[in-house]
Amino acid sequence: MMQRVKRYFRPEQLRELSLVFLILLIFLFFGTQIEGYFSPRTFNRVTSDVAIIAVVAMGETLVLLTRNFDLSVGSIVGLTAFFTGKLLTFNPDLLPVGALLFAIGLGAALGTLNGVLVAYGKVPSLIVTLGTLAIYRSILVAFPAGTKNVVTQDLPQWLLDLGGMQLFSIGEFDIKPVVAVGLVMLVIFQLVTSYTRFGRRLYAIGSNPEAARVGGLPSQRIVLFAFILCGAMAGLAGFMFLVRYGNLTPAAAQGMELQGIAAAVVGGVSTLGGVGTMIGAMLGALMINLLQQSLLRWLVISTFWVGALLGLMILISVTIDAVIINRLRNIWTQQGLEINPVDETKVVNEKESHDA
Amino acid sequence: MMRRLERLKSWEGFLLAILILIVVFNIFTTPHYLQIQNQINLFQLHIEKIIIVVIMTFIIINAEIDLSVASVMGLAGCVMAYLFEQGVPFGWCLLAGLMTGVLAGLINGFMVAYVGLTSLIVTLAALIGFRGLAHVLLENRSVGNFPDWFDRLGQQPLIGPFPLAMIVFFVFLIIALIILQWSGAGRHVYIIGNNRQVARYSGVNVRRVKMTLYVVSGTVAAIAGLLLAARLGSMRGDTALGTELEVITMVVLGGVSIFGGTGTLFGVLLAILIILNLRNGMGLLNITGEIQTGVIGVLLILSVLGPNIWRGVRDAWNRRQRIQRMHVGEE
Amino acid sequence: MASVEAKAPVLQIRHISKRFDTTQALDDVSLDLFPGEIHALMGENGAGKSTLIKIMTGVYHSDEGEMLLDGRPIRVNNSVDAQVYGLAAIYQEPMVYPDLNVAENIFISHRSQGVIVNWRKMYQEAEKILAELDVNLDVRMPARGLTLAAQQTIEIAKAISLDVRVLIMDEPTASLSAHEVEQLFKLTRSLRDQGVSILFISHRMDEVFEIADRVTVFRDGRWISTLPRGEITHERAIRDMVGREIEDFFAKRVGQRGEQLIAVRGLNKENVFSDINFEVYGGEVLGFAGLVGSRRTDVGLALFGVEPADSGEIILKGKAEKIHSPEQALRVGIAYMTEDRRQIGLTMPMSITSNISLPMLHQYLSRFGLIQRQAEEATAEHYRDRLSIRTPSIQQPVAMLSGGNQQKVMLSKWLNTRPQVLILDEPTRGIDVGAKAEVHHIINELAAQGLGIILISSDMPEILAMSDRILVMREGRQMGIFTRQDATQEIVLTAAMGQDRSPLETA
Repeated sequence: MMQRVKRYFRPEQLRELSLVFLILLIFLFFGTQIEGYFSPRTFNRVTSDVAIIAVVAMGETLVLLTRNFDLSVGSIVGLTAFFTGKLLTFNPDLLPVGALLFAIGLGAALGTLNGVLVAYGKVPSLIVTLGTLAIYRSILVAFPAGTKNVVTQDLPQWLLDLGGMQLFSIGEFDIKPVVAVGLVMLVIFQLVTSYTRFGRRLYAIGSNPEAARVGGLPSQRIVLFAFILCGAMAGLAGFMFLVRYGNLTPAAAQGMELQGIAAAVVGGVSTLGGVGTMIGAMLGALMINLLQQSLLRWLVISTFWVGALLGLMILISVTIDAVIINRLRNIWTQQGLEINPVDETKVVNEKESHDA
Repeated sequence: MMRRLERLKSWEGFLLAILILIVVFNIFTTPHYLQIQNQINLFQLHIEKIIIVVIMTFIIINAEIDLSVASVMGLAGCVMAYLFEQGVPFGWCLLAGLMTGVLAGLINGFMVAYVGLTSLIVTLAALIGFRGLAHVLLENRSVGNFPDWFDRLGQQPLIGPFPLAMIVFFVFLIIALIILQWSGAGRHVYIIGNNRQVARYSGVNVRRVKMTLYVVSGTVAAIAGLLLAARLGSMRGDTALGTELEVITMVVLGGVSIFGGTGTLFGVLLAILIILNLRNGMGLLNITGEIQTGVIGVLLILSVLGPNIWRGVRDAWNRRQRIQRMHVGEE
Repeated sequence: MASVEAKAPVLQIRHISKRFDTTQALDDVSLDLFPGEIHALMGENGAGKSTLIKIMTGVYHSDEGEMLLDGRPIRVNNSVDAQVYGLAAIYQEPMVYPDLNVAENIFISHRSQGVIVNWRKMYQEAEKILAELDVNLDVRMPARGLTLAAQQTIEIAKAISLDVRVLIMDEPTASLSAHEVEQLFKLTRSLRDQGVSILFISHRMDEVFEIADRVTVFRDGRWISTLPRGEITHERAIRDMVGREIEDFFAKRVGQRGEQLIAVRGLNKENVFSDINFEVYGGEVLGFAGLVGSRRTDVGLALFGVEPADSGEIILKGKAEKIHSPEQALRVGIAYMTEDRRQIGLTMPMSITSNISLPMLHQYLSRFGLIQRQAEEATAEHYRDRLSIRTPSIQQPVAMLSGGNQQKVMLSKWLNTRPQVLILDEPTRGIDVGAKAEVHHIINELAAQGLGIILISSDMPEILAMSDRILVMREGRQMGIFTRQDATQEIVLTAAMGQDRSPLETA
């Protein structure tokens, strides 16, 4: 029985389960503390924000799995959101699909630069993305435009409607398009990381880069692709950001990379590579955002504790992973080599033929 | 020594050439560029940053990183400002600010040296966490009205034309130079960064060195934060946001490898001068602050990419030479 | 058993030579491997076995010679080529992906996999392969935490899945328990019966004789003999491996034993070594002999505090000392020179001077903690003279020195700590004959000055010539201590390989 359990529930999944548990705990706790906590409005707010961060976190996870970092996603989100907004301001007749593809494409292009520098330029991802974080943000600022900011008056109606639209509702609780997109991405990328050769190789490269190299895996190409996808996801998040907020300044989404990484790390994605799932990243995003939103409404402590708590959560998650989960992992799979019991008579015969 | 001179020819020499170019360009645009006062202004704008660059050099040579320096700066200043707001005597506020840095360094150092976590993620968490704490204290407010003597120290010249911060920087730079290049501790820092195993096998107490570096980093960041508060005359929750990029760029551009073990403060000093003069030049061309930051980002990437490409080209060249030689030998 | 020679060889190695700077690693070596045979390759350290493997798997390129697969010449330039030709190697240290499960580890580097991963099929095929090997391993479990033996099985399964034709097993049993070795042998035989050609490299005579169909011996980079197992005996094998005369350029030692410097009692480290007991006296050289995996280095590391033992006593001057760090070891007068120069022995970009003074740096500091360069340089000059280190300047980075001179710098570093007991781990590995002789001369001098020296070496003539007494280890166990008079190459090698024939203890 224990063997069966061990088979299907790895320590990582245990961790995800405990996250779910924690989220429920937080949910229930704040429910007792805050009036109107269980209202549809809160639900919509939270899920919309979570969706955006989750998309970023999922893209970031792809990169983290390969033992790299992408610190530039915040700038990518801001840049794509802003430029898409500007594009729509000047081309109001552009099809929604066109705008969406533009955002994703732009994000992918920005991710490509990151990927090329890391995979082929052999520049450490910390350096590359620290640099592109600044570069992309400065491009955003430098962009000459009539009015500096994107304002809702200039945006086409369908975009504004998209924010408030409901795809379908359960009673008063709406599933907004933004949320739907987040869920779709979750499903897609969970499938990709679990069922495609590309996805599995991400894990391999992060788990043992040396073995990947020696074993002939096309590591460079795979890492490049991870960065491109991360950028594309950030671009998608940028579009969602535009839909959600409408009014944008060049400082849009500043610092979002930290939230994305935090969500992934809290969700169990290891910064050493090879460990973590999309579901985990999503749970991490959910937990962090839920906590943030709840603290915002909780009058007992200042809303500004959110940032400090975020840092603490990362630290605790990483420490727990390093100290406890690792040990659990090693214990979990303590199994040696078992060969089926031998037919005694066969052994004797073999021995005889040897000495002959 | 021979080797050092050789390296001087390559990277530091390269930096020197660039620096001269930039300075010449600046002189062209502004005739009084080299005047003392102008130069002092040049430094003053970024003086707290470059104080931190000095200790960051040690940490990166040691094959670690500290992403939290800017947040510690902000937090130390905010602690001081917050207590001041509450009416605590100013001297104690300053002390508390300083202690904040020490404590931050202890936490970082403990996690990296004794728990054994990667410095990247620890200091990233610290970056977020300490910044958050700063916001908890000051929320959206700006606190100012510090005692006159404090503001004076921050803004007015102290000895000759040099304000306190610049003097602190020079003193600090000289001490750091002595320690890094001429003391036993400095050599340990290099060796641990170059090869942690060798250091351990040779009897060096690696943990203690790393812990010390982080505590110093936190303390220096706190000092820098307080100096910044003095110079600005006020403090906000998001003061010194984002300066870690520039600090790391100055170190890496100065020839310090991100993997540790190599680099000198001479190179870093040149890099500091390059970036300061570059910023000044860009300012003269009416390039805004954010775009300047973007240029810094390009510099950061180039300072690692450049040598990589150079090495790749050189290796390909050598390989071709070797193959040619082999063919010749066969004939 | 069917006659193996009736079939055509699957891989023919013809006249392969490979040179590294001053060493001829392989000299005109030829070998035939037939399908369905277990072909053992024996030889001492430095005989050229691992070089051959690296050439076969594409890590090195041979200078001369060629390889024929099924009669056709092939070039193996990298690991991908090796995979395509069906040449695979498994080593003492398996390379697995700890976070992927067993089945994935087996199939991850398959080039023919589709875009979509069919888990069920992968599990089924993995289980099938493991079943063929008669192995009971849960394919869904992550590879992390699996025992070394299990990880090796994964490597074997991987090779099978890639239709391996020649499987090289390089010292696969070195870290396995006896039980695990049995299981590995079952696997190996099963593979052979499926037609795979297995090149089995091992030092362990009893294992080789149990499993091999034919035995080839290399010595000093040359092929010496290939015989069917039925025609070769232990004595013949050892003679082929050892063959050379003991040259006289090793300065013969005349030891005069001084007082007891260090006594080791019951030293244990779980899963590493057990029950180690010996003494070292001033003025003598205690040689540590043994083969790959004998764990001699681990004992040295325990004495030096890098990887302290779990239990047992280390007694210096009558007092039992706690040695839990190199600092502590140095303080009680124990120094340890590693066998690896480049990774952990020296700081390559730093100067000779800096390297030598490093462990004792605190003694070169002035009142303010500044390094007194002159004193440092004086020390370096002193050792440059004393050990005849050939270099234009003591400020040269050690990366630029030859292997022999690097070794001397390392030696200086540890001599400078004024040890009572000096542990030398493979001090003459990878350096030329002339430098070797110099190092031996120095060792003699040091002993004459009253130092106690522990000499860990895999070079048999060296150990026999230099040691006053020889402690032989095998798989972490102490097999015996021999005096100089009683020790011969055959006796020591026999003890190292675990034959039960020789009298174990004479000293």
